[in-house]
Amino acid sequence: MDRQALILDGGLGDGADTRGAGRIADDVLRCVGWQVARLTLRETDIAPCLGCFGCWIQTPGVCVIDDAGRDVARQMAHSDLLVYLTPLTFGGYSSELKKAVDRSIPNISPLFRLVKGEVHHVKRYARYPRIAGIGVCSDDRADPDEEELFETLVHRNAINFHAPADGACVISVTEDDDVMRRRIERTLRRVIES
Amino acid sequence: MSDVGERVLLLVGSPKGLEKSNSARLGRLVVGMLEERGWSSESAHLHAAIKSETGRRELFEAIDRANVVLLAAPLYVDSLPAPAIRALELIAAHRRASDVKRMPRFVSMIQCGFVEPSQNDTCQRILRRFADCTGFEWVAGVSLGGGGRVTKRVRTAFDILGEALDLEILVPDGVEQRTRKPSMPGWLYVIGGNMGWKRLADKNGVKDQLRARPYERRGS
Repeated sequence: MDRQALILDGGLGDGADTRGAGRIADDVLRCVGWQVARLTLRETDIAPCLGCFGCWIQTPGVCVIDDAGRDVARQMAHSDLLVYLTPLTFGGYSSELKKAVDRSIPNISPLFRLVKGEVHHVKRYARYPRIAGIGVCSDDRADPDEEELFETLVHRNAINFHAPADGACVISVTEDDDVMRRRIERTLRRVIES
Repeated sequence: MSDVGERVLLLVGSPKGLEKSNSARLGRLVVGMLEERGWSSESAHLHAAIKSETGRRELFEAIDRANVVLLAAPLYVDSLPAPAIRALELIAAHRRASDVKRMPRFVSMIQCGFVEPSQNDTCQRILRRFADCTGFEWVAGVSLGGGGRVTKRVRTAFDILGEALDLEILVPDGVEQRTRKPSMPGWLYVIGGNMGWKRLADKNGVKDQLRARPYERRGS
């Protein structure tokens, strides 16, 4: 069966910050036999989550806002791997990536359960995609603390979205393509092979 | 505008706005204490402010006038809601471009729907980085669980926080110690929370569909 990856490109402005890394991630995945869909979020009209919980208690599993956010949630549910590609924004995601992540909560249940002693939401589906985070920093080198924060954020998201595996890396926009490729490939392989 | 006394700016990062959100209600508890001590206050809803050039300019000007900026927001998937992140991106770009010299003190107040306030930790770290990178003086990150339930302990913590902000002293560890403790055991929260969700779904006539799988993959 084909394995499907969805690259969520959260680049800001003209997208120059994430373009190179997105191209490399796309190529790396295709080279190992994955089908890849790439979504440029700054060009996708997704309204912000209303925080109304309608997707849980009015139309369970479907957001009450009828826009591209619904399609993204569906695509996410149908993927085996999500690649969160983002300019590193104070160690976290850009607003463009986050608008898609916020609108994906219909894919989990409102009901709670304990996971390693912590309260989290129950699965809605039997299978969930793996999550790989690629953060792009504008400096020559990311602050190690910021890098660790990004990895933690991706891992926390993986817990909340029941991802069977996750991993993240931070690359610099100034790195040459070979270095960037090695780091992205290492991260993606770690996530898809674990 | 001439400065009269100290000024606190409440930034609300909830889609539900200044009137209806839990975040605004919680932020106002601290803002109210400062007002009682003679402070003036302003508030802004980030989702609304970022929509127009005028809104953005007014937001930047309000920050420039403030001695304390208190950001109150709900936790959305381990971080802030997307429009609140957009506001941070814009504030950062503005402060870099305009070479702002003043460093308002910055307090973040994040509340989540899980019982453990510690689930806000990642978001608080992001906000601290934002403050450090954009010329704010980070003074406190207040994390609340249980949807922002205000217990007696939390109220005491807010009193301590308000006093520390007013006196311009370090925020005592007691604030964090009082707010970080879950208000009930996790297992009890799971039982009560699940009853609540089922009741709400029942009211909407969808209790039987609570576990619906509209995007189920073929072959799953």
